[in-house]
Amino acid sequence: MKKTLHGLLTLFMVLVVQLVFAQEKTVTGTVVDEEGLPLPGVNVIQKGSNNGVQTNFDGEYSINVPSGSILVFSYVGFAPQERSIGSSDTINVTLAVDAAALDEVVVMGYVAKRREDMTGSTVQIDSDQINQIPQATVDQALQGRVAGLQISSSSGTPGSTQDIRIRGISSLTAGNEPLYVIDGVPVINSNVGGNSSSSSLSALASLSNNDIESISVLKDASATAVYGARGANGVIVITTKSGKAGKTRISLNSYYGFSNNAIDGPQPLSGAQREMLLYESVLNTYGENYNLSTPEEAADFYFDQLGDGYGYQDWIDAGRPEANWGELVTNDDAPIQEHVVSATGGTDDYNFYTSFGYFEQEATVIGSTFDRVSGSLNFSKDLSESLEFSTSNTASHTFQDGILEGSAYFSSPHSAKYFTPPLNQPYNDDGTFNLGTALPNPLYISENDIDESKFTRILSNNSLTWHTPIQNLSLKSRASIDYQVYDYKRYRNRVTGDGSSTDGYGERTSRKTATYVFQNSLNYFNAFGNHNVDITVLQEYQEYRNNYLFAAGDSFVTDGLTNLASSGNPTSASASFSDWYISSYLATGSYNFDSKYVLNATYRREGNSRFSDDNRWGNFWAFGAAWNLHRESFLSDSEFVNNLKIRGSYGKTGNANIGINNYQVLFNYNADYAGTGASYPAGYGNPDLTWETSYTLDVGLDFGLLQNRLTGTLGYYDRRSEDLLFDVPLSFTTGFSSQYRNVGSMKNTGFEAELNIDAVRSNDFNFSFGGNVATVDNEVLEVAQDANGVDIPVTNNVAAGQRSTAGTMAYEWFMPTWAGVDPETGVDTYYTDETRSETTTDFGQADRVFQGASALPTLTAGVNIHVDFKGFFLDAQGYYAGGHKIYEAWHRYLNQPNLYVTGVYNGYTSLLDRWQQPGDQTRVARAVYGGQPWTYNSKFLFDGDYFRLRNVTFGYDLEPEIVENIGMSGARIFLRGTNLYTWVKDDNLVYDPEVDASGMTSIVTPPVQSFILGVNLNF
Amino acid sequence: MKKNNIIYIIFAVVCGVFLSCSTEDLDPSLEQSKRSEEALNSVGDMEGLIKGAYNRLTSSGYYGRDYLVTNEVRTPNVFSNGNSGRFITQGEFGYLPSSTYIWDDAYGVIAIANILISRDISTLEGSEEDLAYARHIQGQAYAMRALAHFDLLLTYGQQYTSGDLGVPYITGFGTGDDFPSRESINSNVDNILADLQSAFDLMDEDFYDASKEFMSKYSAKALESRVALYFERWQDASDAAEAVIDSGIYSIVSADNYASSFMDDGGANSIFELAFSGTDNAGSNSLEFIYRGGTYGDIQVLENVLSIYDADDVRNDILGYEGDLLRNMGKYPDRASNVIVIRYEEVILNYAEAEFRLGNNAEALEFLNMVPEYRNAEQYSTVSEDNFLLERRKELIFEGQYYWDLLRNGRDIEVLNINQNITDPIEYGDYRLAYPIPLAEIDANSNITQNPGYGG
Repeated sequence: MKKTLHGLLTLFMVLVVQLVFAQEKTVTGTVVDEEGLPLPGVNVIQKGSNNGVQTNFDGEYSINVPSGSILVFSYVGFAPQERSIGSSDTINVTLAVDAAALDEVVVMGYVAKRREDMTGSTVQIDSDQINQIPQATVDQALQGRVAGLQISSSSGTPGSTQDIRIRGISSLTAGNEPLYVIDGVPVINSNVGGNSSSSSLSALASLSNNDIESISVLKDASATAVYGARGANGVIVITTKSGKAGKTRISLNSYYGFSNNAIDGPQPLSGAQREMLLYESVLNTYGENYNLSTPEEAADFYFDQLGDGYGYQDWIDAGRPEANWGELVTNDDAPIQEHVVSATGGTDDYNFYTSFGYFEQEATVIGSTFDRVSGSLNFSKDLSESLEFSTSNTASHTFQDGILEGSAYFSSPHSAKYFTPPLNQPYNDDGTFNLGTALPNPLYISENDIDESKFTRILSNNSLTWHTPIQNLSLKSRASIDYQVYDYKRYRNRVTGDGSSTDGYGERTSRKTATYVFQNSLNYFNAFGNHNVDITVLQEYQEYRNNYLFAAGDSFVTDGLTNLASSGNPTSASASFSDWYISSYLATGSYNFDSKYVLNATYRREGNSRFSDDNRWGNFWAFGAAWNLHRESFLSDSEFVNNLKIRGSYGKTGNANIGINNYQVLFNYNADYAGTGASYPAGYGNPDLTWETSYTLDVGLDFGLLQNRLTGTLGYYDRRSEDLLFDVPLSFTTGFSSQYRNVGSMKNTGFEAELNIDAVRSNDFNFSFGGNVATVDNEVLEVAQDANGVDIPVTNNVAAGQRSTAGTMAYEWFMPTWAGVDPETGVDTYYTDETRSETTTDFGQADRVFQGASALPTLTAGVNIHVDFKGFFLDAQGYYAGGHKIYEAWHRYLNQPNLYVTGVYNGYTSLLDRWQQPGDQTRVARAVYGGQPWTYNSKFLFDGDYFRLRNVTFGYDLEPEIVENIGMSGARIFLRGTNLYTWVKDDNLVYDPEVDASGMTSIVTPPVQSFILGVNLNF
Repeated sequence: MKKNNIIYIIFAVVCGVFLSCSTEDLDPSLEQSKRSEEALNSVGDMEGLIKGAYNRLTSSGYYGRDYLVTNEVRTPNVFSNGNSGRFITQGEFGYLPSSTYIWDDAYGVIAIANILISRDISTLEGSEEDLAYARHIQGQAYAMRALAHFDLLLTYGQQYTSGDLGVPYITGFGTGDDFPSRESINSNVDNILADLQSAFDLMDEDFYDASKEFMSKYSAKALESRVALYFERWQDASDAAEAVIDSGIYSIVSADNYASSFMDDGGANSIFELAFSGTDNAGSNSLEFIYRGGTYGDIQVLENVLSIYDADDVRNDILGYEGDLLRNMGKYPDRASNVIVIRYEEVILNYAEAEFRLGNNAEALEFLNMVPEYRNAEQYSTVSEDNFLLERRKELIFEGQYYWDLLRNGRDIEVLNINQNITDPIEYGDYRLAYPIPLAEIDANSNITQNPGYGG
């Protein structure tokens, strides 16, 4: 009671004093750096208030403050200064570079570290490389920016997932996707799409690029071991923008542009070309037995004897009209736009960042759009001297009007491009849709069928930090939720296509997932002389819950009503619940001596619900050490060497990325027979199942030379994955196809290098360029064996031939080797075995052999160039991937001169190079009238090497004087081109070389080329 | 100060709650599945599981479509026009070991049958009648195990390619022997017939299923007549067929009802059929969708089929045209139509043929003529292999039987029509008459030998 009274009295006294002495005065001045150059944008704040201004482009400021108050001058990278307001009206300040602040702080998830204290290889990408990239998902900004990170697009349909591999692949049959962490919390960012035949939708598409401050990619064990069992595939740490104290600043970021396919891809045959091939195929197939010698005779034979099952006569009668389905399904110059307003501000005891954004993109194919509305509010406040509250919240709603893609779905517009015969016309004479096309008319389908995803995501991440009375010891508690509501609607119209045989078809999927993460942590740091320690102990609990509801029906009463309410025959209903849990205890600490010698260590114990009681817990750890040579006396005065560090780390991480409940012997009940429920055994189970573990060694050298004009890193890693979560193929006679076991091992090794050169640094003109390069050498060391001690290889796709066994690469291509088209007979030949000494025309007699490459690039590289001159700037960035091979899927139907091409579907113009007469040297066999089975062989396996000019941005920052005159603090206008140029090594690879991680070309929207015009306005 | 105290307390509580997490807290929910030890404790559980086996039989990779159509498209009854790219490979005998075909589904059925067969009935919960029903279910499991092995033997065995190898005969579940070898054809046939006998013995007439969607006692005998006939155990075939005939349960469908009988489920001629319905069917992968329509509709009827029927034969009604395309219009008329596995007419013909092979020509002719009699077709005056082949083709066309009838009689696959997917005949003994063992099986089990002619 006495204390309270005392407090009140004090407060009263303060108020009185304030009333008496609060005389406002205007203080002006200039803020410069140590070289005397003016510093624009410096925050000048009256301490303890939200009264603040920023310096202009000449470093000048003017602020009204009560005399006797204190002004705080702060600017990123400089040590803040405080000045008391005395009698003078002018306060000029020289800010000194803050060595510690200048040293970039890298966010590593649970902790953030100064570069100097790091012992591993982590790359951080900042907002200027992330914001205003014309792509729906932020991960696409990573392509080419991080050595050892490979990214490929599963589809160019906006919102689709990307496949990311960090340092090769760590697992054969468990997941290889990295872990995502947003603001310190592990999140799930996988495909949320409701139906595998429809476009995928990445959960990351819910985040606005503009809300992201930085993305760190953690690659080595010293960084990833804190994520224990989920660290083996690397970790991508996303940090959202937090508030910046000072006068409230408002930014408007906007762009608008157009997209087209980055690569034209194969071109479909015209009707006339196809007709010619048809007659030739008849001549080739029946000529000898039926005495046909000319294409004309073959044509007669086709109509008279073979019965014209493919509709040529009608087409000829109609005057041979040509339809180009490729053009018909293309959405030329598909618009793309994004508009974001954000505001940030605060005082020294609170700050906020808030934004509202809208993104919209049409696909380059008809019938598909994507949009996103997002808002965020990040807020921090000191609740008291010792308590700090922080919250970051994002809510977004995304809508994706998807299409059927990923396979040759007949109702997919991409299928129509190649599969619909050019004989079929899109419209009838009266202008109505022609519904008699071989594949459902995509123009009608795109207007009448529905594949819609609606995805709402709310991320709320809240923490409270208590700076305990013990100096430098803080306790932090964090609670976060990632709530995702997904709704998918499919409708197939009654008139044509997939729903026509059942009077329409509809389905609806509803999925609600909630991921909770709770963390409690203790952090202590201190300096004891030259000994610096920083220790964090953390406990984390994560819980995932998934509620799923599905219903389907057919027999719709009428056209135009597409909800299940109008379905006369409900065909399916399903609801389910699933969950998983992860609990962890973590300790991580770092020590350095005078910033010269750095040691750090991490230990994590983690329990996962995917394993049985006895095998649930795993221990993961890492050690790292670094030596900052530039801190040593022999280098500290060096003009040449500014930064030189040798570092190394070794540690154990894990992977538990398999489905839930694989350890239990279960019976499933989602079957039915004769109108009643049925059960069946789900699998053998495996109570012994436990973690897959990886041991990673990482060594490297970081350097900065010539005033850091030349900076870079060199590194080497060796990752051994053991006790793989191996989905061991079983003899089908067991009743199952596979069983998870911890068996087998694999290694990935590689070199990584990054280099950046600031060639010219000056006030008006800057020029820098750089790049990164990384290799991956992947080898499977051991796989499961059967009772005879024979290796059991694991195959991705038996037919398409990707196989892994001891001594091969993971999923190395494995198929018969094509030996060319016999110039005498025009038929494909294959080598009988790996000696390549004999050939055969009988595909079944050709051994499958390893082809010396997998779908995983063995060499990737990125390059970037930056030039600026008096406000104008140019940035360019490119990506190279190579050493891998890509397989052309669907060649059986589209790229072999057979009846599928000439009769049933259509094919590529490459077929015009077919063999015609003895002596012809060509890749394309002679045309035949008949189908052909799948013959996966190396003829359709192409070098995957490509280079892509990923981004080119040309822009202009308006003169500061002009900007200020119109009340702004900054204005930029820019033109950005994406995927402007693509170089492909293999001329026979006509498809876009950027395919998903499977390495197969696919019937999807290809990557897009876009041009956008954008502005950034800061007020 | 007070406010802060409260926050500290909340802080401490929150930390405490989550620090106290234990191994058990990590147990996942199990809301859609049951642990095996809880899954098979009552006769109701057994009934649910045998339905799971029936359900596996209905998959489109097996009786739902592929098994019947793959057999049919290899005969001069139909061809694939490739409209959806399906069944041309099979029609050309161009299949490669990359396909699993029925191998996985058939052994999947067998695995479930083995779980049921190995269940000790005496420890089940339930009344005496429940236990009797449990035995009846075990009988069905034996019949199903026999049927699946029989289909595997026909498809992968070397009986038509002059080899000795059959398929692994699996009689246990989870026994630890996961790397079985192929057994001889004869041993397979013995096992199949023995299982069918066990099925017959265990099944109880009281549980006769009038819907025919579940196997009954005489379903086992009917299947036995087929197995024995195919493997030339004539007396067995005759006896088994006779037992079905003597049961008096089934009858030949009349001429008037012939075409419509394929639209109705559970007809008097049906002995065992698989249930499909408006809500439970193979959809676009159904038999209906491959035999008809413009979306798939790959399977077209060859023109020579028109000439096998007499003008008055009601079986002409099965055929029809969609536009210019000759089609199977009558069998599997709807995706909701049940698929008959065995019906009485076949048993009659099995009996007749067995009698013919045993030399009892009069009996054979009488029974052979029973079928045309009910089809308004001309009667046969003599019995001969050709006549049996012809009548079976006429009666069972599009049902996947003709291919085996040709092969078991040592016939070549001839080219009778230019539209056929083969341009040259496939001679009896050709390696392609045995399907390749799936590569996935060979990869996982080095004890399995591939059939000759197929590369690795």
